[in-house]
Amino acid sequence: DTNKPVEPAQPTAGMQALKSARFLQVRNESVIYPEGIKSPNPALNQGTKSKGRQYDKDFLLQFKDVFKEKPSVDWDMKVKETVGDGSGDSARPSTGR
Amino acid sequence: DDASAPTSAPTTSDESQIRTVFDDPNNFNVKHPLMNTWTLWFTKPPSGKGDNWNELLKEVISFDSVEEFWGIYNNITPTSDLALKSDYHLFKKGVRPEWEDSQNKHGGKWAFQFKEKKAVNIDALWLHVMLAAIGENLEDEDDNEVMGVVVNVRRGFYRIGLWTRTVGKALPGDAGKGRTFEQGKETLMKIGRRFKAALQLKDNEMVEFSGHTDAAHAGSTRAKAKLTV
Repeated sequence: DTNKPVEPAQPTAGMQALKSARFLQVRNESVIYPEGIKSPNPALNQGTKSKGRQYDKDFLLQFKDVFKEKPSVDWDMKVKETVGDGSGDSARPSTGR
Repeated sequence: DDASAPTSAPTTSDESQIRTVFDDPNNFNVKHPLMNTWTLWFTKPPSGKGDNWNELLKEVISFDSVEEFWGIYNNITPTSDLALKSDYHLFKKGVRPEWEDSQNKHGGKWAFQFKEKKAVNIDALWLHVMLAAIGENLEDEDDNEVMGVVVNVRRGFYRIGLWTRTVGKALPGDAGKGRTFEQGKETLMKIGRRFKAALQLKDNEMVEFSGHTDAAHAGSTRAKAKLTV
């Protein structure tokens, strides 16, 4: 039997939160962001047809250091299969991150 | 206050209360929706053994929230670490990042080459272009032009492109939209200017537009530019 029993990796709290969170109704719900966090530029979402899903760069950049969860428990393997680790065919040794 | 609240939850996390990722990255209950669902693709560098394009172009993941985008961005190889001849493509879901896709075949692209590879922060540039795309800052809601954005890693340059659905002409399926060629062209110019702003280029650094079929007939992507901003 070559199938060694491997403990399946458990999704993190952040992964589960992302999965179970509902979509904010950007136009109809006013969010009070914590102090120091800027709201999306309201001017972007005032068009009558806008669904309220336009975000300016400064708003989006605030998430960069806040949400760092991998999309799934098998993400690293998926990246390795598709994108690789960037070493390509070069002589650079692959580094286990 | 509320005796029926689950006892396991922290006292501050009433379920009816909006909690964003900024309040609690491990226990948020709302996420920020994107206007479109986007798919990230990757082109692997050819191995030199005659691999076909379809095997080199890989779909990585689709996402439809701001939070999900950052989870991906923070856990994927940065452009500056990619091997030569790699591409990232970020396209609206359902559109393959190829000329031949039915939604691309009448279209074109705005593109700029960064020839001083060491002088540019390609990771920041590509990030800003992706944010402009997913934040819907490149086109207005009824333009229906932006198909996706792409970064190419090559020996002599990085290139960032923005693919559009048309080259300004009305397409057969668009009958009734009543857009003249002049209006279509102006829409493309507006998108080009916003793309240029996202790339933080100087006025004298020209971004060029070319139709995909022009490029195909020229046998290379160096087709003569029809529009510049």
